[in-house]
Amino acid sequence: MTFALFLKVLFSAIEQGTPLLYATLGAIITERSGVLNLGVEGMMIVAAFAGFFGLHLTGNPWLGLLAAGIAAAFMGSLHGVVCLVFQGNQVVSGLALTILGLGLADFLGAPYIGTVTKGFNPIALPWLSSLPVLGPVLFTHDVLVYISFLLAPAAWFVLTRTRWGLALCATGENPQAVAAAGLSPLAWRWVGIVVGGFLIGCGGGYLSLASSHEWTHSISAGRGWIAIALVIFSFWRPGRAVLGAYLFCGVSAFQLRLQSAGVLQIPTWLLDMFPYLLTLLVLLLSSARGKGRAAPKALGVNLEPGA
Amino acid sequence: MHTTQPLVSLEGICKSFGPVKANNNISLNFYPGRIKALLGENGAGKSTLMSMLAGSLQPDAGTIRVLGTPVRFTSPRHAHNAGIGMVYQHFKLVDSMTVAENVMLGQEDGFLLHPAKMYASIATLARTYGIEIDPAARVEDLSMGERQRVEILKLLRRESSVLIFDEPTAVLTPKETEQLFYAFQRMAALEKSIVFISHKLQEVMEIADEIAILRRGEVVEEFDRESVPDKTTLASRMIGRSMNTEMHRPALAPGEEVVVVENLEVKGLQPLSFSLRKSEVLAIAGVAGNGQKELVEVLAGLCAPRQGNVRLLGKSWKEFFPTPPKVNGLAYIPEDRQGMATCPDLSLVDNLLLTSREIFTEGMLLQRSAGLAATLQIISQYDVRPGNPQASGRSLSGGNLQKLVIGRELLRQPAVIIAENPTQGLDIAATEDVWARLLEARQHAGILLVTGDVNEALQLADRIAVMYRGKFVDCFPVTDAVKVAQIGSMMAGVAYR
Amino acid sequence: MRTWKVTRRTEPLGWGSFLLFIMAFGISLAISGFLLFLQGKPGLGGILLLLEGGFGHGYSLEDTFLKAIPIFLCAAGVAVCFRMQVWNIGVEGQYVMGAAGATWVVLTFPDAPMWAMLPAMGIGAMVAGGLWASLPALLRLYAHMNEIISSLMLNYIALVILQRLVYGPWKDPDGAGFPHTMVFPDPAVIGTFLGRIHYGLLACLVCGLGLVFFLKRTRLGFEVTVGGENATAARYAGMPYARLVLFVFVVCGALAGLAGGIETSAVLHRLSMNISVGYGYTAIVVAWLARLRVGRIALFAFLLAGLRVGVENLQLELGVPAAFAGMMEGCILLTVLAAQFFDNYALRRVQAQPAAAGQKGAGA
Repeated sequence: MTFALFLKVLFSAIEQGTPLLYATLGAIITERSGVLNLGVEGMMIVAAFAGFFGLHLTGNPWLGLLAAGIAAAFMGSLHGVVCLVFQGNQVVSGLALTILGLGLADFLGAPYIGTVTKGFNPIALPWLSSLPVLGPVLFTHDVLVYISFLLAPAAWFVLTRTRWGLALCATGENPQAVAAAGLSPLAWRWVGIVVGGFLIGCGGGYLSLASSHEWTHSISAGRGWIAIALVIFSFWRPGRAVLGAYLFCGVSAFQLRLQSAGVLQIPTWLLDMFPYLLTLLVLLLSSARGKGRAAPKALGVNLEPGA
Repeated sequence: MHTTQPLVSLEGICKSFGPVKANNNISLNFYPGRIKALLGENGAGKSTLMSMLAGSLQPDAGTIRVLGTPVRFTSPRHAHNAGIGMVYQHFKLVDSMTVAENVMLGQEDGFLLHPAKMYASIATLARTYGIEIDPAARVEDLSMGERQRVEILKLLRRESSVLIFDEPTAVLTPKETEQLFYAFQRMAALEKSIVFISHKLQEVMEIADEIAILRRGEVVEEFDRESVPDKTTLASRMIGRSMNTEMHRPALAPGEEVVVVENLEVKGLQPLSFSLRKSEVLAIAGVAGNGQKELVEVLAGLCAPRQGNVRLLGKSWKEFFPTPPKVNGLAYIPEDRQGMATCPDLSLVDNLLLTSREIFTEGMLLQRSAGLAATLQIISQYDVRPGNPQASGRSLSGGNLQKLVIGRELLRQPAVIIAENPTQGLDIAATEDVWARLLEARQHAGILLVTGDVNEALQLADRIAVMYRGKFVDCFPVTDAVKVAQIGSMMAGVAYR
Repeated sequence: MRTWKVTRRTEPLGWGSFLLFIMAFGISLAISGFLLFLQGKPGLGGILLLLEGGFGHGYSLEDTFLKAIPIFLCAAGVAVCFRMQVWNIGVEGQYVMGAAGATWVVLTFPDAPMWAMLPAMGIGAMVAGGLWASLPALLRLYAHMNEIISSLMLNYIALVILQRLVYGPWKDPDGAGFPHTMVFPDPAVIGTFLGRIHYGLLACLVCGLGLVFFLKRTRLGFEVTVGGENATAARYAGMPYARLVLFVFVVCGALAGLAGGIETSAVLHRLSMNISVGYGYTAIVVAWLARLRVGRIALFAFLLAGLRVGVENLQLELGVPAAFAGMMEGCILLTVLAAQFFDNYALRRVQAQPAAAGQKGAGA
């Protein structure tokens, strides 16, 4: 393997890992508040359509991104209404959200399939992109990638170093303790759902605004589920989410490169399975249990009404 | 008696749950710098009263005054703001977070968290009150005593002036109890008002400035500690007449050995040996958390022994547990009635079938009608109320649920019964009922009674083993008056002569 | 001042529960109609067209019955898993593998007589589905892997395997290169008895009754119920929890597999990519709408099958994409899930208590 190949793989890892990173960070924030959200796939695809549609209407990719974030936050709020207000089962509600989202996006998007838009384009950052070796790999992407560079540390900082993060994470661990401290666990779960939902939406929006500049059928292609697997892999920590997202896409990209270079002769049907097998592998690696790796204790457990 | 104004006063507080009067016309004052004990047995209404003071329950009648001003607390938050805080028996802590993070949760003190600064300020606070704690430790790594200190620090950080403790020593080691009492005195010296709920005479005599005795929801007496002549007087005042009735315990000749334990080792347990005979009650007395749980889990088949021999009805643990006998086997009455012994959302019949399904099975089929008949019989025989066999387990009170569980376990005529705090949280009538049933079951069973209540051990047991730090301090017949008198100090791990 | 207070119901709601479902269903229809209207199509008209397409005519009822058969079998399996709080969402994959299992029997023994062929296909389908379902169960038990994601990933993998089979070794040599197997010989095709409705309906009846009997009357069925209610109590009562998890997965996989086998034999008469149309996901919706009760699953399987047929009608008449059915299913599940709150809780008007007048720092 040459060093050039390695750099190419790294470049695609970042490019393709970005939507996963946004979605994983969003899901981490939601789950840290104790809300299990299996609707990520549905939220991402609706966001992808909202992003595309916003851009299509206004011509401004930033408005598209805003629409994507708001659409996913709205979808998440449906989950919130069902689980936080009406005590619905979080697993089932999340699945319903995915079924709804996949249907809704394909229904609304049907007339626009194949419509091409402008979206975000790569911008080589002045000075930084001319750094030797890593410059072109890290700093010749689109602006959403640069934002994601800042987002993961920001998420880490907010979760571990601010009063808000403390309250949010405590809600996911022990809502009674939060209530005893005079805070509202319910309110913090809403925060987790809406803020997390917005980030998941940005991940979905990335697909139609930056990854591809057109609207296609089934654009999310299981990425929402991969994000949920990555949440487990990351032990609910933003830092490891970065590792997980880039590693996942890096391994995929590496495998494709080897394939196209003719180094490996894998039948195509095995290649088609690759992302799913890789997801299972990711889960297998992260299921080793230990201190600091466990899910938030109150994850998926509803708050008693009136309490 | 006092010249200062009380920090908080209760006037004519009443609270009922359905037909039960938990608190009736209670009036109490809490003064700064004083330690007040609320003494009373289980079900006397102590916890209900304190929950009203802490804002988690609301009184039906009566007034709470803070510095003379009438207030009405509709949530714990209101009580917090009025300077009243409570340390519950079940701590409300986030296990995966540090001590400092737990203390800072919900405190309005800047947006950013600076770990180093937090640790320093909490260490200072702890030092002021003589509390020993590592602010950077994770709560999950702490002992129960240390967790309790975190709860105290939460209240102190909030500058609470009235601190309420619900049975604070129940989970503590003697050393930790000492440290807690030292902190009580420091807090009182700094003009806090301490209220603690207890049913242990010894500690009340040791630490309290004032004592209020609750019985059946009423304050029957209130006095300063100095005015109490001795512990026996206090005991008779607390218990009243009703509990002085001794259980009728006809002597039975012990039969063959049903449980033999030799050098048993599991996590948290020193090598342990004892045996239990048919028609005998062996009480294991001790403060919770001294290895009783681990021992019971092995004997009940939930956890394999790591070392040593366990023989049940003549069979080794490995031979006995994959297929315990359907009848005349082993019955386990767990402490956790709602979480373990029953399914709250299933009907009483289903709850009966839970452990007795084997005797109501023919081939692969479950004989539901036979199960129903057995449930109805238990309902009438044990007076379980309400007596609808299709009602959910949730609809039964603790005492009635326990009666159902005991009826169910005795159905199979077990030869070994493991009963874990079987009367915890029950009222007097239900307690005596449960005791009578267990004594009756001696006819066909050896009974291992795990209890934290010395009185219960004395009422039921033929022999008493006192457990401390994973081993038996001593094991003696209940007729040995000298040793019986020392149970308290044995439970506390104090060496005796 | 009066406010609402939430209390837990001790008595079941009874018929009110049905009323709630009707309301939730109505809201979902209204939302769906509104979305049609947004796309410039007749809202109310569209919904009426949909209902008529699903339930309005003899041939549409036949279609609905045909679709209800696999949905019912899959949903019955899902219900067994969900009862134990085991979240198997890999039903679609188990269904596909079942179809492949039945097809393997046909392709391996093409000349078998019908009396041997059909039972063998059924067994092949159930074994294949059951084995496929045992994978997430074993991964959960031995590797502590979350069964939700593993079973879902296995759906995608099953589809790839299906694709590989029909494009590769099982491709019909006389099929002009189309990706499907040869048409099944007559003995491998389940017959019809009422219009196009086939004897698979009988399998539903047998499985449904068998399942009711199993859950209500057998010890194992009781243990499954308890395991879902309270895992601690199940352990306390000496139930083999791990084996129960494996068991419910395999039962679900076998039922889903059988559904796949029946569908290939009776409807498609061959294996092709068309076997996978998302019945496995619809089954999850059906199972939960029916609150995991077998009798109600039959009802809801019919209802949602009707919606699917109705949407096909809309596709023809108004050019609405097939995804509309999925959207409606998600919408119905969400609204019904919310409405089920009132099954467990009651709202009462109570006198509100005035806020506390406590002041900060009583001791200061």
